[in-house]
Amino acid sequence: MSSTRNRLVTALLALWTVLVLMLLYVPILSVVLASLANTRYMRFPHKVWTLDAYRDALGQYTTAELHLTSLKIAVLVALIAVLLGVFGALAFARFEWRGRSLYQRLLLLPIFFPQAVLGLALLLAMTAAGIAPSWRTAVFAHLVWVVPIVTLVISIRLYGFDVAQEEAAFDLGASRLQVFREVTLPALAPGIVSGGLFAFLLSWSNLPLSIYTTGSDTTLPLWLFSRTATNYSPLVPALAVIATGASVLVVVAAALALAGWRRLVARRSA
Amino acid sequence: MRQRVSPGLLAMLPVMALILVGFALPILLVLLYSLMPPRTFSLAGEPTLANYWAAVTEGYLLPLGWSLLLAGLTTLLCLVLAWPTAKALVRFAGRFATLATILIALPIFISESVRLFGTALFMMPGGGIFAGSLNALFGLKIGSILYTRTATLLGMVYIHFPFMLFPMVLGLSLVPQDQIEAACDLGARPFQVFREIELPLALPGITVGTLLTFVLSLGANAEAAILGGQAVIVITKAIEQRFGYAQDWPSGAALTVLVILVTAAVIFPVLRRLDLDRLIRR
Amino acid sequence: MTTSGPILSLVGLTRRFGEIAAVDDIDLEILDGEFFTIVGPSGSGKSTLIRILAGLERVDSGAVLLRGRAITDVPANKRPTAMVFQSLALFNHKTVGENIEFAPKMRGVDPAARRARALELMDLVRLPEAYYARPVTRCSGGERQRVALARALASDPEILFFDEPLSAIDYRLRKMLEVELKDLHRETGKTFIYITHSLEEAMVMSDRIGIMRAGRLVQIGPPLEIYQQPRSRFVAEFMGEVNVLRASEFGVAGEGWLVVRPEQLRPLAPGEAADVVFEARIVNDYLLGSRKQFHARADERMLIGEIAVAAASVPGPGEPVRLGFDLGDAVRVAE
Repeated sequence: MSSTRNRLVTALLALWTVLVLMLLYVPILSVVLASLANTRYMRFPHKVWTLDAYRDALGQYTTAELHLTSLKIAVLVALIAVLLGVFGALAFARFEWRGRSLYQRLLLLPIFFPQAVLGLALLLAMTAAGIAPSWRTAVFAHLVWVVPIVTLVISIRLYGFDVAQEEAAFDLGASRLQVFREVTLPALAPGIVSGGLFAFLLSWSNLPLSIYTTGSDTTLPLWLFSRTATNYSPLVPALAVIATGASVLVVVAAALALAGWRRLVARRSA
Repeated sequence: MRQRVSPGLLAMLPVMALILVGFALPILLVLLYSLMPPRTFSLAGEPTLANYWAAVTEGYLLPLGWSLLLAGLTTLLCLVLAWPTAKALVRFAGRFATLATILIALPIFISESVRLFGTALFMMPGGGIFAGSLNALFGLKIGSILYTRTATLLGMVYIHFPFMLFPMVLGLSLVPQDQIEAACDLGARPFQVFREIELPLALPGITVGTLLTFVLSLGANAEAAILGGQAVIVITKAIEQRFGYAQDWPSGAALTVLVILVTAAVIFPVLRRLDLDRLIRR
Repeated sequence: MTTSGPILSLVGLTRRFGEIAAVDDIDLEILDGEFFTIVGPSGSGKSTLIRILAGLERVDSGAVLLRGRAITDVPANKRPTAMVFQSLALFNHKTVGENIEFAPKMRGVDPAARRARALELMDLVRLPEAYYARPVTRCSGGERQRVALARALASDPEILFFDEPLSAIDYRLRKMLEVELKDLHRETGKTFIYITHSLEEAMVMSDRIGIMRAGRLVQIGPPLEIYQQPRSRFVAEFMGEVNVLRASEFGVAGEGWLVVRPEQLRPLAPGEAADVVFEARIVNDYLLGSRKQFHARADERMLIGEIAVAAASVPGPGEPVRLGFDLGDAVRVAE
């Protein structure tokens, strides 16, 4: 390959990537732009650019209620998924055991499965079992899909872990529990944190599972979905922006809390 | 270290229990319901294939056909669009690639109802973001593809693009740069390098991306609902109607089983051959 | 070196993996304060053996006795031993200090005493005090070795095990660390059990060496004895390139082999006699510092010899040469 040609290919690839990035953000930007109006009908460009819709959205009881429902589902999903995911990952990547290969494949099935179809199947199963769908059943539905993902995320971390570290700790007098607490868990910590954040965000933004498994409870994506077709007002895009902003806020807060906790631990042990 | 029960077996129990109760059991129930007489709500009926017959004769294969077509086209478009992007991300390993990767990944965590809603706002005729801007800037008046099958397809490509891209990047990053250089050094032209070196080595990643994209878009219904208007009824929508308005569980279950069969037919042969340890360990 | 009876006795130790006996009926006594090295090629079972001694691997039969008391079923965390692992197995999420203090911490020693002990050990293994708070991920290869050593010593073990810790280190640093390890052994007076695939490394440090092959210890003795009196072809060849000749071909009665070291096979001056003489032709030669090694062909036989560079009569490649050795210099081995 000549270097001129090589440079041309490189430039084209870079240009392409920038184009893809722009296209990916066009819809998101569109939501933000649409939220800055005060007319009931979409007439872009707006005659008046205003934050009124945000003021209205923040003043509404629905906004708080929707956030609360989404939050309690996502937090529960994240906590349970991490707990199950740690053990799931140990079985996936740490231990050698008969049936591991089968387990690895079974674990992937819920990921390689149409989510909405899973939601429908769960709805049928719950109705048949006489369980009324609510935010609680949504937590369960999310878990079926999120736990395998979290397990994979933690497994990736586990693959890079030198098992001899556990043996070394054991050899130096640590009990099984101490080995887990002092060596395995801290080594997995980055995977656990990213797994937890993944779980939270995936649950927070999930639509296809929530549609069929929340019953009369409504999550943010669900409410937005129902309002995109009917009853449009700038309130809808404003709430979409607020909901997305809220998840960013939770992630940033979690990251800050974690950094603070680390510093605290570091200071205590120093 | 004496061990009677392997610790791996113990560790997988909670996850496996979840998958059994939350995945295998519902699918089993759907399968059983699909064999019950139409419009019944118990599993005590005489097993019958009537629902499958009805699915074929009463036109429910049409939504399935649409879903398959849309999923196939989505997968194809994603493959073509993701390949140069994946190449770029692997080639520019460094700050630009990291930033681009993060920027591409972030929207996954924004609800698809928000993103599809945004797409609709962008495409809207007259006062939409695109049409409105053109009108204001250049006095151009254009039509819109919103509420068409094309819009549905574009929405599906938009939503599923990252699921194709990231496994592909993973696969491509498994191709050692020195092998590509060795091939060039031995006289291979760019297309030969692609066919002889890159494609075979990156294949596991591409396969995973293809499967993921196809299967996820097979069940997609938000795209059709938000961008398609009444232009197309996808299979998930049809199942939902059988379960809901029609109150015919066995009929909906039979349609669900058909989707599951398609999914299984695509997933199982590939999943069996995949070396997961190698792909994930890197 | 204090020698007061065996600290560790291995009795009929056996461990099988499927059909293969990784450790095959081993009996061995290791003396208190000894530096004992087990040498063997990869797959000889030496790693399994040391892991059994550390309590990290179970046995199928046999016993391990510590000062006469059976500890075969005592798990690693209850044994007064510590291991330096091949990968070092440093805790990557901890600092140098936290790594070293691990064993005392597990034992509930208070932080101040732990820290004092860690600093003392860092001094012993020649780690600067400033490294105490440094993450181990920011240490060089040699520094990581020292951290691993200090961490093992911090548990104040009666026996220290080493599982090829120097195998991934470059030559110069390895030589330096070998000497330091030997010094440390003398200073601490502890029993060191070391495994390696390098006999050269074993020679430098050990009081006694055990040569392991296919799960068995085929020869045990002080380094010089192993070098001078190998008991089998395997041991002789393991120590480096040697000439192995069928004994019966040279008028020596009985089956078996003659092992002739390169330095014992010398070019003969015209008229000089030797018990065995080869008419050969030099194929190739290599400079080894002050000595030169050469390969020569005598009929179908390849021979390896060595000569001081200072000696004038060194023939070059392609030249004919008369080579010879005396039967008294050769070592006779049965197998």
